[in-house]
Amino acid sequence: MFSLSSEAKVGLFVLVALIILGYMSFQVGQHGFSFKRGYLVETVFDNATGLDKDASVQIAGVEVGRVESISLKNGKALVVLRIKPDIQLEKDVSAAIRTHGILGDKYVEITPGTIKTAFIPDGGAIEQVNRPADIDRMLSQFALITEDIRAVTSSLRNVLGGEAGESSIREILTNMRELTRSINTVVARNDDKIADVVENLKSASKEMEGTFIALNQVAQGLKKGEGTLGQLLRDKETGEKLSKTISSLQDVTEKISTGKGTFGKLVNDEETAKNLSDSLAGINRYVNKAEQYRTYLSYHGEYLFDTSNAKSYLDVRIQPNPDKFYLLGVVTDPRGRRTLRDYTTGGVTTRVEEYDKSGFLFNAQIGKRFKDIAIRGGIMESTGGVGLEYFAFNDKLRLSFDAFDFSSDRRAHLKGMAEFQIFKYIYLSGGWDDFISNQGNSSPFAGISIRFEDDDLKYLMTTTPIPK
Amino acid sequence: MVLGGLEKLGRLVLYSLEEAGKIMMLFLSAVAWAVRPPWRFHLIIKQMEFVGVKSIFVVVLTGTFTGMVMTLQLFHGFRLFSAESLVGSTVALAMTRELGPVLSSLMVTARAGSAMAAELGTMRVTEQIDALYVMATNPVKYLIVPRVIASIIMMPILTVVADFVGVVGSYFVGVSILGINAGTFMKNINKLVVLDDIFNGLIKAAVFGLILSLIGCYKGFNTRGGAEGVGRATTEAVVLASITILVSDYFLTALMF
Amino acid sequence: MIKLIGLNKSFGKQKVLDNLNLEIESNKTTVIIGRSGGGKSVLLKHIIGLIKPDSGSVLVDGEDIARMNDRELNDIRRKFGMLFQEAALFDSMDVGENVAFPLKEHSKMTKEEIRKTVAERLAAVGLAGVESKMSSELSGGMRKRVGLARAIALLPEIVLFDEPTSGLDPVMAEAINQLIKETQRNFNLTCVVISHDIESIFKIGDRIAMLYEGKIIEAGTPAEIRATTNPVLRQFLTGSIEGPIKII
Repeated sequence: MFSLSSEAKVGLFVLVALIILGYMSFQVGQHGFSFKRGYLVETVFDNATGLDKDASVQIAGVEVGRVESISLKNGKALVVLRIKPDIQLEKDVSAAIRTHGILGDKYVEITPGTIKTAFIPDGGAIEQVNRPADIDRMLSQFALITEDIRAVTSSLRNVLGGEAGESSIREILTNMRELTRSINTVVARNDDKIADVVENLKSASKEMEGTFIALNQVAQGLKKGEGTLGQLLRDKETGEKLSKTISSLQDVTEKISTGKGTFGKLVNDEETAKNLSDSLAGINRYVNKAEQYRTYLSYHGEYLFDTSNAKSYLDVRIQPNPDKFYLLGVVTDPRGRRTLRDYTTGGVTTRVEEYDKSGFLFNAQIGKRFKDIAIRGGIMESTGGVGLEYFAFNDKLRLSFDAFDFSSDRRAHLKGMAEFQIFKYIYLSGGWDDFISNQGNSSPFAGISIRFEDDDLKYLMTTTPIPK
Repeated sequence: MVLGGLEKLGRLVLYSLEEAGKIMMLFLSAVAWAVRPPWRFHLIIKQMEFVGVKSIFVVVLTGTFTGMVMTLQLFHGFRLFSAESLVGSTVALAMTRELGPVLSSLMVTARAGSAMAAELGTMRVTEQIDALYVMATNPVKYLIVPRVIASIIMMPILTVVADFVGVVGSYFVGVSILGINAGTFMKNINKLVVLDDIFNGLIKAAVFGLILSLIGCYKGFNTRGGAEGVGRATTEAVVLASITILVSDYFLTALMF
Repeated sequence: MIKLIGLNKSFGKQKVLDNLNLEIESNKTTVIIGRSGGGKSVLLKHIIGLIKPDSGSVLVDGEDIARMNDRELNDIRRKFGMLFQEAALFDSMDVGENVAFPLKEHSKMTKEEIRKTVAERLAAVGLAGVESKMSSELSGGMRKRVGLARAIALLPEIVLFDEPTSGLDPVMAEAINQLIKETQRNFNLTCVVISHDIESIFKIGDRIAMLYEGKIIEAGTPAEIRATTNPVLRQFLTGSIEGPIKII
């Protein structure tokens, strides 16, 4: 029998623990210079609230050091940074205290400088310090802004309130009216000028054509190798052409900027911009609608113990918004579809029940959801019916109760079931089908469902208009 | 009525002070005997096996499940801030600073501290401690010093194991089950936990080892009244040691961090 | 030679030893008798320094152990051996280790010598070859004999017995009495036995002392004790319920 002495056990245990300790100490706090390497740089902040010793010092998000100490100097915070030896800080770097996220730790951010020749020595100081854009500061600025707004509103109240204010507003309005009137007259008087503008536009395009031709000539001349650039410039003809080109180009740009010409109109017209933004809004709406739309495909199979039958359901559930849905589906029932037919032979009418075993039954329902409760109604298994659903545990559990197939000669088909989500797409269910049946169809059942959301179907559905 | 209450309170305070003083005296005498030869290394080793090696299972179990359940709970809270990646480092900090030392000390108190009280208590009521005196062997040196030394040595070592399995358990739940990114999980541990956290935790553990063994031995050593007395001593040892550990943890934390 | 002079000891309000004086002669067996709970064990523990008196002296070979510190006590205790009431064997050790304990602690013997000495001592108490048994496996009589073997392991000058025959059947009690006598004779010991077993005390005692209400009321040879006229001692020896001893 192999057994260890006490000494061996203790020794082994201590050894294992020491190995673990060694491993752990290499997994934590390994920043390379926790053993006091690197050089020290001083910096003075107005306020070092929340900054701790050993806080990170970063350039562009990369840690380059740690805060060595924080102390008070002339009413300001003297923060000494220990910078990694292989990092050089330019003389004109600036430092700021920043926060990781909104609630995160404070750290010192150093913005690199531009002087690539002079660096801060050991014991040197960072001269430029940025005010931190922290929450405190933001809040204090908010306070200032609120103060301003209050000042504005109060002076507005002073202006508008009272008789003096009222009369001055009336004055302003009169002025405005006069202004519009004179604008109108200006526009009317310049009616023919507007026609001129259109004319100008035409000539401008013509001039453009000419310019391009001239440019072409220049380019062709260059291609042919006719002289160097010097020759080109000395050449009188070319020079003239060039200056002409430039002047006509100037013309064009002027016209565009003053709103002349088609292109100019496009650039300057507000209507166009409005149209554009409208169409964008339209696209947005469309996309949003598609986002809200949810489409679920589900297969549900159940086994009825007492009647030894299996039923299958294939459903599409379309949900245009969270509190409304449509349910379409087919059901296979081994009992088939029941039809009643009256045969009249010899004056005697016999009503015969027939089952169409090959046929599918159909579901087409509309539903509405109120928080945890949903009601459904429509066609259930090819007959009229209503249903009630109750959801719990983040919709993981669904209790449902259906009543359908109301006919005079037999009791309604009632079905109660509970369904629970066990995995992402898989649901288990159990319940009692047709539990008040007087046809011997009453049976408990157990079932399994697969239900998933289908994105492709969703976009298909949104393009198809659906009554709302 | 009022006077009676005051009297009770006064008696309680005096009793507590007296107990504290006696434990202190026992500690001093243990220190005095510990530095005096001969040193009985085989006794220390034996106690190290009892306190340390035999507590591995319970400490590993506690550590692992603490790490796992903390991860589970923190995950749901941190998810509200989208800070799931900080779960690992939070668990690691909690384990190394507090839970590792405190929980393993409490487990060892329940296992070994109580056993010390019971063993010494039995030896007291069956006159075995008197027998040691008679045989010119000081029982403080022979019985208490090895237990105290072994506990002081083994508690930090058990804590190392508890810290480790706690983080491993946390990693398992966090990364394998809850789907936290393994890289950020480890990176945040690396970033936020420093060596001092571990070592301060180990210092705590050593102090707790001293507390639990000293109180266990004190209660056992001063047992009166037969088998019932032994039972009482054991219970008192566990309760007093646990309370003392928790209270001193506060002061140690205040001193260290 | 042990001399107890003016010993006083109280536990709370209860006075257990009241100005007690007694001389114990060397190389003889002195039996101290008295009522159950009458302070006999306390007296015995004073002799070996386990309990210190409130006042008075315990002189062992002229040294007052009541004034000694722990270290000096440790030294003087090597002269002593003691058999406890329930033997007080260490549960964590087997018989051999129990008997070897004082040898390991206080002698410079080699392992082999220790093994031989342990075998000798066990043989002396009639238990040769039980070294590897655990103390929990032993009967009451065996435990006491192992306890005796341990008490005499270092061949002390003085051996104290705390009720050696209590809880034993008459045959075993007789055997223990024989053993005490033999051991005393063989090793020339000074024995102090406390007991209230009247049968035993006359068999083993060279001198007998009666402890009553914190005092030694009578001390002498067995013959003197038998012939006593002290009504308390008479009542104690005859085991009568009528007399000055109050039965509470």
